[in-house]
Amino acid sequence: MKDKPSLGVYSFTGCAGCQLAILDCEDQLVDIFSAANVRVFYEAMSNNDDDAKVDIALVEGSINTDEQQEELKAVREKAKILIAFGSCAHHGCVQAMANGDGKWEERFKKVYGDAEFTVAKPMETRPLHEFVKVDGWIPGCPPGASQMLKALTQLINGSPPTYTNSAVCLECKFKENECLLNKHIMCLGPLTMGGCGAPCPSQNMPCVGCWGIIDEANHASELKKLMEYGFSKEEILRRFRLFGGSDIVDKVSELLEAK
Amino acid sequence: MRVYKISKQDEKKLFKVLEKFGEVWLPVKKGGKCTFSRIYSEDRLTFSQTEICNRPLLPLKKLLLPPEFNTLDFNAERYNRAEQNVPSRVVVGSHACDIHGVNILDKFYTTDFIDPFYRERRKKTIIIGTSCEPDEYCFCNKTNTNIIEEGYDLFFNDLGHYYLVWVGSSKGDDIIREGDDLFDENITDKIIGDFINWRKVNENFFTNDIDFYGVTDLMELKYNDNELWEYFGDKCLSCGQCTMVCPTCTCFNVIDDLEVNKNEGHRRRYWDSCMFKDYSMVAGGHNFRKTRAERLKLWYTHKLKAFIGQFGNPSCVGCGRCIVTCPVDINVYNVVSRLKGQEKELIRK
Ligand code: SF4
Ligand code: SF4
Ligand code: SF4
Ligand code: SF4
Ligand code: SF4
Repeated sequence: MKDKPSLGVYSFTGCAGCQLAILDCEDQLVDIFSAANVRVFYEAMSNNDDDAKVDIALVEGSINTDEQQEELKAVREKAKILIAFGSCAHHGCVQAMANGDGKWEERFKKVYGDAEFTVAKPMETRPLHEFVKVDGWIPGCPPGASQMLKALTQLINGSPPTYTNSAVCLECKFKENECLLNKHIMCLGPLTMGGCGAPCPSQNMPCVGCWGIIDEANHASELKKLMEYGFSKEEILRRFRLFGGSDIVDKVSELLEAK
Repeated sequence: MRVYKISKQDEKKLFKVLEKFGEVWLPVKKGGKCTFSRIYSEDRLTFSQTEICNRPLLPLKKLLLPPEFNTLDFNAERYNRAEQNVPSRVVVGSHACDIHGVNILDKFYTTDFIDPFYRERRKKTIIIGTSCEPDEYCFCNKTNTNIIEEGYDLFFNDLGHYYLVWVGSSKGDDIIREGDDLFDENITDKIIGDFINWRKVNENFFTNDIDFYGVTDLMELKYNDNELWEYFGDKCLSCGQCTMVCPTCTCFNVIDDLEVNKNEGHRRRYWDSCMFKDYSMVAGGHNFRKTRAERLKLWYTHKLKAFIGQFGNPSCVGCGRCIVTCPVDINVYNVVSRLKGQEKELIRK
């Protein structure tokens, strides 16, 4: 039997819920810790080896300061494979909802005034891939057990994680839900990467897109439809931005022009 | 073909009879949606065309080939077909169009190659069709799927205070025998008159003015009309809902899921859609249908044309599900209308 791969779980700005999502897999926890040699995982253990070189780094959280940028680069150097773990790391999550609007400094001042920052210099939040090479990602806020365990298993066995390249709607239809969009409710299922099992529409709640934007997302068409249903362009774009993170920023100006 | 009459007063009594053949299923309204559901008591049983809800969100294929299931358990040494535990079922309340849909699935899954998972479920499913009152979205009269001659075990025509029951198979015959005292074999001229009259009345329910004539040829002739397909491609959300709800979409994907640290895995099969970008991707990353327009063209070619060459009929059975489902109103009606150079649209209410 080949050596167990080593694993590190690292965290930047977020709610730490992605790490918790691993701990939440109670039935598989022993298997995870037996399959990999876990070297760093602050939320789970006390003997962490910060300097350890690892085969797989799961990195949670987005990057908010110059210091975090350096720490992230250090993790990158220690890791053979670096995975953006969860929405914050993958695309910025809710803290990135206003990215690209040019008003970050204004907002920052409003909250912190003229406070002086000595430890680290804050900045507009960014996902990992804007600073280092990211080899793969595990989507979700927080990631769902089945998709995450599958990705972990693939990584531990030396293959890249595979993705669900269908929208949330596929799993929504597996559950035989009536489409909320057709009831004039702002559901972002068609724009959102599947894999979560569509828990929200299954409870009659619209999808807000927490799994991140799917490659084939047709924002322009959904925007048009929602405007026909009486939503204002501003409220639709706000919703698109909620979990759209850095991925939506490029699209926004184009969508603003759409009629 | 044998025909019987059964009084509506006796329909509930059939529950005990049907239960002997398997779980009893029926389209039932749940929180506003119509869905094939198991029923556990005679109170809910009916064969009435006005009481059974119209157009279950997912068609019968959900019972014949579930949206996702495990096909294989494996480890490094061996593999075993996953136990399917398929129950015997008696499914009441399928309309003619949906039974035509099942006949198409039968051709697809049991002609050139036999899909063991489909065959097992199909064999254990008794289909009791019922007549229906078409709504504004139905157009099975245009696709020649409003009358059904095979594929069912029994078919109940609702003639007011009684049903006229067609027997379509030996299993159907077994059910009649089991409920012997409830069925009347004496079909009088009055009953025949009622039936003919009912046919006429029912035909008047159709209001969908889709013009299906020559559509197959048009698909061929307008195959390279990029403007037409781009018009729909611009709107399409690639959500795949049309495929999930269409009774005749048959595509599926198969993937292996491994268990953490257990050296074992499962081969999962689930419904797929040609509306997804990865559907047409092959090794090396080449994609045959990169754009939504190309993918829509494939979908509609499959519904309106390609199946004819393969099995003799188009594979649209006129159920109207794409009309009530697509969030951006891409559906057979609107595609056919554009193919004919018209702009009229049918939009779900
Ligand atoms: S309810 Fe939302 S997720 Fe479900 S099919 Fe409709 S748009 Fe897609
Ligand atoms: S349905 Fe949408 S909001 Fe809900 S978990 Fe899935 S991706 Fe997130
Ligand atoms: S229309 Fe597409 S998804 Fe449906 S059966 Fe044909 S190829 Fe498959
Ligand atoms: S193409 Fe539309 S109307 Fe035709 S069978 Fe499929 S869902 Fe029904
Ligand atoms: S045609 Fe409609 S239902 Fe089908 S994938 Fe496109 S948007 Fe979804």
